[in-house]
Amino acid sequence: MGDDAARSRPGVFARAWAKAVSGTSYLPMTQSQLEEMLQRLTDRLAQALRAEPFDLRIGQQVGAELVQAHIASAEGLGRTVEVIQLRLVRDLDLVVDDVEDRMARLLATVATGYARALRDRTLDEQESIRRAAMMARAQAERALRDSEARFRHQATHDPLTGLPNRTLFTERLTAAITAPGRGADRVGVCFLDLDRFKVVNDSLGHQIGDSLLVTVAQRLHRALGEHLVARLGGDEFVILVERTVGTDDAVKVAEAALAAVREPALVDGHELTVSASIGIVERPVAGTSPMDLMRAADSTLHWAKAAGGARWSLFDADRNRRDLARYALSAAIPAALDRGEFYLDYQPLTSLRDGRVLGMEALVRWRHPELGVLRPDSFIPLAEETGLIVRLGSWVLAEACREAGTWPDAEGDAPFVSVNLAVRQLHRTDLVTEVRGVLGRTGLPPHRLQLEITESTMMSTVVEPVRALRVLGDLGVRVAIDDFGTGYCNLAYLRDLPVDELKVAGEFVTGLRAPGSGTDERILASLVSLAHALDLTVTAEGVETADQADRLRAIGCDAGQGWHFGRPGPAAPHLGRVPAHVDAAS
Amino acid sequence: MQRPDWAPETIDIERPSVARMYDYYLGGSHNFAADRAAARAMVEAVPEAPLMAQANRAFLRRAVQYLAQAGIRQFLDIGSGIPTVGNVHEIAQRIDPESRVVYVDVDPVAVAHSQEILAGNEHAAVLQEDLRNPEAILAHPEVTRLLDFTRPVAVMVVAVLHFIPDADRPEEILRTLRGALAPGSHLVLSQASEDGRAGTGERAEAERVYRRTDSQLWIRSRAEMTALFDGFELVDPGVVWVPQWRPDSPDQAENAERAVFMGGVGRLGG
Repeated sequence: MGDDAARSRPGVFARAWAKAVSGTSYLPMTQSQLEEMLQRLTDRLAQALRAEPFDLRIGQQVGAELVQAHIASAEGLGRTVEVIQLRLVRDLDLVVDDVEDRMARLLATVATGYARALRDRTLDEQESIRRAAMMARAQAERALRDSEARFRHQATHDPLTGLPNRTLFTERLTAAITAPGRGADRVGVCFLDLDRFKVVNDSLGHQIGDSLLVTVAQRLHRALGEHLVARLGGDEFVILVERTVGTDDAVKVAEAALAAVREPALVDGHELTVSASIGIVERPVAGTSPMDLMRAADSTLHWAKAAGGARWSLFDADRNRRDLARYALSAAIPAALDRGEFYLDYQPLTSLRDGRVLGMEALVRWRHPELGVLRPDSFIPLAEETGLIVRLGSWVLAEACREAGTWPDAEGDAPFVSVNLAVRQLHRTDLVTEVRGVLGRTGLPPHRLQLEITESTMMSTVVEPVRALRVLGDLGVRVAIDDFGTGYCNLAYLRDLPVDELKVAGEFVTGLRAPGSGTDERILASLVSLAHALDLTVTAEGVETADQADRLRAIGCDAGQGWHFGRPGPAAPHLGRVPAHVDAAS
Repeated sequence: MQRPDWAPETIDIERPSVARMYDYYLGGSHNFAADRAAARAMVEAVPEAPLMAQANRAFLRRAVQYLAQAGIRQFLDIGSGIPTVGNVHEIAQRIDPESRVVYVDVDPVAVAHSQEILAGNEHAAVLQEDLRNPEAILAHPEVTRLLDFTRPVAVMVVAVLHFIPDADRPEEILRTLRGALAPGSHLVLSQASEDGRAGTGERAEAERVYRRTDSQLWIRSRAEMTALFDGFELVDPGVVWVPQWRPDSPDQAENAERAVFMGGVGRLGG
């Protein structure tokens, strides 16, 4: 009987039912699909009304199926009850015993099945949306954790090598120093820098340079895995050596690092051999700070560099103090120039022939407010390193020319002033302009200015500065080679340089003191005759005794400079000097 | 530590979500107390709200049926919400099980729920993205994996544009989407409209309700909506109240303006 019913076409009752429930909730089907479904349920209801004995399950199944078909609202149930009660028996023309009783029971089972299914569906949906919310929250939190972890990693690691960066290193170093219970510990820091890395970058390109850095990073990490290796930037790496027992522990780490770097590296087909320099600081945790350690390791690294690289240096507190004092002094030069703390002393260059003062070498002094008068050797090398020599040298040149311009010159034989020129000054493109300007402003005739350039400077000098000297020479400015004989001078080269005078280093003169020191005397004699052959005059430096002066004169040397002729000091006393020493001898 | 920009929002179920409010209008229980409270307030303001949700869902069903019968086998449903009964993949895959459907919603709960429903359906996927980032949607790996843009795709922007203010340039968004489509592709649009309903005060009240959600309401006229189909040829009957769009039976289209939503389907020629 059920089979026949299932195939029946939607009847008048099913259509009425469909009309009653449509609009009570969203139905994911067309009207005809709805009518077909309801016809099927109508047949089931008819079966339930007639079934003997009465079967509770049929009505309940119909109710549940309505909900499953998304006729799932209170209105949907109300209208269903209404339409069944009013029309089912009549429209289907059913003949049933106890129809009212059975209809009431049928409607009760439909309502029960419907309510139960709706409740189940509600609970299922609530569970499903809660699960979705939980899943979404878990996903959001995981994404947040991942992104935080990624952010933290990015913030604490170097993107090129994957090593920890300065931030993480500083954190770990700070922890090593300040963590509770660490007070009695010692800690070491090795500051590593590749030697001449710039050459790799410049000659092979940054890509190869970067690959080399990655290789070095991997090796350091492998060789020193237990210690934190960080890249600070460029080719600078740093190693944290925690809980050291003594300096040796840090030195061992540094040696392992140097060995790791030293092995030839094959980078993009280039076999590169690099070395590194390391500055080591190892000290008790108590009383130090991360910044102190880093700064000390950094300056120690520079000692290793200055010593030629491919080595480690160990921090030395005394040396560091001296360095710091030197740097402080060098940093004070500009302000000292502004305050006028520099002044010039002069030392005469005296003619060995007639005792006249031919020239005077200007020597810079610093009247330091706390340290007293400083001689050039305590600040000139620093000024040369830092480049401040250019400003200081300009001041010396201008001041020397200004003073020389005031020296009495009644007979046109006032001495020239001899000014030392540093390498950096010589390499400046505006040297000629500067000298011309100074001469113009001070009115000093060009032939009364001599520029002293050391032998080594002269020999290392490239084309452009030589051209500048030649222009100055043509102008009438004298050019002297200072400290001649201490370096390696190419004599053939000397012929082509725009030079007027050789100043022979004091070492040769010192040798003249003892009688019978024939070698030095013969060297000097040949130097002088060579110079004269090249049309150069010769001044001997460091002349301390009358005997030395006599011998130099006998050799044919043109002039002498040294304590014998006058100590450095203000110009005036030298200018007034009568040529007395020579009279007796000649 | 500072929270990075790319960190996702956490899930706040105390805040009503338009996707779950919509589910409530449809008679579903995929919603939380905050959603139901907001939805009830909306029904107070606009008594037709449940009706309009049902009518809009029916429009979606008829539109997908129409497109599937027209040979479309790829669907990109942006603003898909809680994928309860009568969703695009159910309709499209009933006609052709090979039909491909990608759902996009900005609500992470809706997306998580969709993932659960779509688990095991290898021709359908869901992703979390904002309609306002059409480039991100088009470039998303799930989109490029499932959809072939050299062949026609139906882009569904159903019941979502009224959350996009003019300042966010909806026409630009649609132009970007259109730019990715092959000839024969379709655009399905529907949104809250007010033609013939002006002056009831409902609009202000509805807008007030939605201010509590993450989404404000931007109601547009038929002319404005027609303009949004720029570049597409409107399929008959054009932009109409959604019950009037190709109804199953004529009586379903009665009192159509009570559905609040207008919609239409456009075809990309060429």
